[in-house]
Amino acid sequence: MKQTILDLVRERPVLLDGGLGSEIIARGLPQGACPEAWNTERPETIKAIHASYYEAGSDAVSTNSFGGSRIKLAAYGLEARAAELNAAAARIAREAAPAGRFVGGSIGPTGKFLKPQGELTEAELEDAFAEQAGALARGGADFLIVETQYDLREALAALRAARSAALALPVFVTLTFNAYPRGYFTLMGNGVAAVAEALEKEGASAVGANCTLDSREFVGLVAAFRQATRLPIVAQANAGRPALGTDGEVAYSQSLEEYVGFVPAIIEAGANVVGGCCGTRPEHIRKMSELIHQGNIGTRRDQ
Amino acid sequence: MNKEDLYRSMRKAIVEGDKPAARQMALEAVRQGLDLNEVIDKGYVPGIQEVGDLWGKGEYFLPELITSAECMKAAMDVLQPEMTKANVKSRSLGKVVIGTVEGDIHDIGKNLVASMLQANGFEVIDLGTDVKLERFIEKAEAVGADLICLSALLTTTMANQKKFIDLLGTRGLGGKYKVLVGGAPATRKWAESIGAQGYAENAALAVREAKALVGR
Repeated sequence: MKQTILDLVRERPVLLDGGLGSEIIARGLPQGACPEAWNTERPETIKAIHASYYEAGSDAVSTNSFGGSRIKLAAYGLEARAAELNAAAARIAREAAPAGRFVGGSIGPTGKFLKPQGELTEAELEDAFAEQAGALARGGADFLIVETQYDLREALAALRAARSAALALPVFVTLTFNAYPRGYFTLMGNGVAAVAEALEKEGASAVGANCTLDSREFVGLVAAFRQATRLPIVAQANAGRPALGTDGEVAYSQSLEEYVGFVPAIIEAGANVVGGCCGTRPEHIRKMSELIHQGNIGTRRDQ
Repeated sequence: MNKEDLYRSMRKAIVEGDKPAARQMALEAVRQGLDLNEVIDKGYVPGIQEVGDLWGKGEYFLPELITSAECMKAAMDVLQPEMTKANVKSRSLGKVVIGTVEGDIHDIGKNLVASMLQANGFEVIDLGTDVKLERFIEKAEAVGADLICLSALLTTTMANQKKFIDLLGTRGLGGKYKVLVGGAPATRKWAESIGAQGYAENAALAVREAKALVGR
């Protein structure tokens, strides 16, 4: 039987990709344009970015569908094309994937709030995420990654929808946390233990965090997750904070060396699936791949 | 209820997000014929300030902030018509034109800043997201704004904050408005480098910065 990504997670630290949106922007996405539209307008460009991550050593990449729910696409008037754009996203990554590598169907937040803070109902969210998850599965995703969620309730709606619409696929779920004196919390105030417990109960295959914090800050965050769950843990840190030079060049506050320098500690703290978020590029993944394949970072078998 | 107890209850209603109580206290203040500007300044505003501080410390999060801002609005909905009726001018800290810059549709942070500025006594005109730079100027000129607040989440659209300040200069309006910038990639250093007068990392600090800029 074909090896799944969860089989690989049991063997060694699994490597995801780094930033995708920033790579798309670097290739000329016009300001105010919808990144997902490039799945049909510039599929070769998206495919080349995925290929660069696989070439750098990613075991899996995440598809260009972060903002692909119809609720988010509505901001560009593209809500009617949700199924088409998500299926295309998965197909492009599938085409770029070498044999034995994986495609993760990315599901980002809607950018809106559930009642009472916003207008959305859980049923509306689940409908939109189910449509997205189903299309990603049809396009050839091997697993789904619900990511950058700032509200546990929205993350749970996405997880439920993904599990019902893509029955066979493992679902990874990551939220984005800030560090406070009392610990790590999402924008909505969800703490790590509550997040891990709720996601585990709802059937997530792996849980964790991405974005906002840098790789140094992720060491403690991953440790907090490891205390809360025995599930595989996903960790995709930012390369620090971006700063824009007056020349328009973006630089991140963590250097490549500093970023990668904390990866062994992140794995030691309990992460089983690592990768990068904003500000990370194929060269980050290449360095991380070297570290993992040198074999001097132990695989924890907490599962 | 004496005045001091009433003010304390108002503050508590805002901090605890108790909308019926916030409204009830406002009605009580009207019934007692109190100076309603003082009621706002000494009863309700300290509550929303405490909420901002709790948010800054990571004790309160977005749901609490939104609930407290709604409580503030519930109280104002009682007080403001009474003030209009009595021909009392409500004290405003200043007029703010706010929006997310063109090319950017992210509005969570912008909405938080808008509601906290409003709750603290600014008059806020929210232009929404993906706002053309020209439109900020048109609106500010039309309403006689004191502050213009520009939000951007993306490193690419953050560049429009600089463009905006350059545009103000080209129009000969440099210095006429205080410009505040914010958003995930923005920093104090960025604000200084583009010549913005203000920067804030979060909604609570935005209130503090805005007040300082209007000399309050």
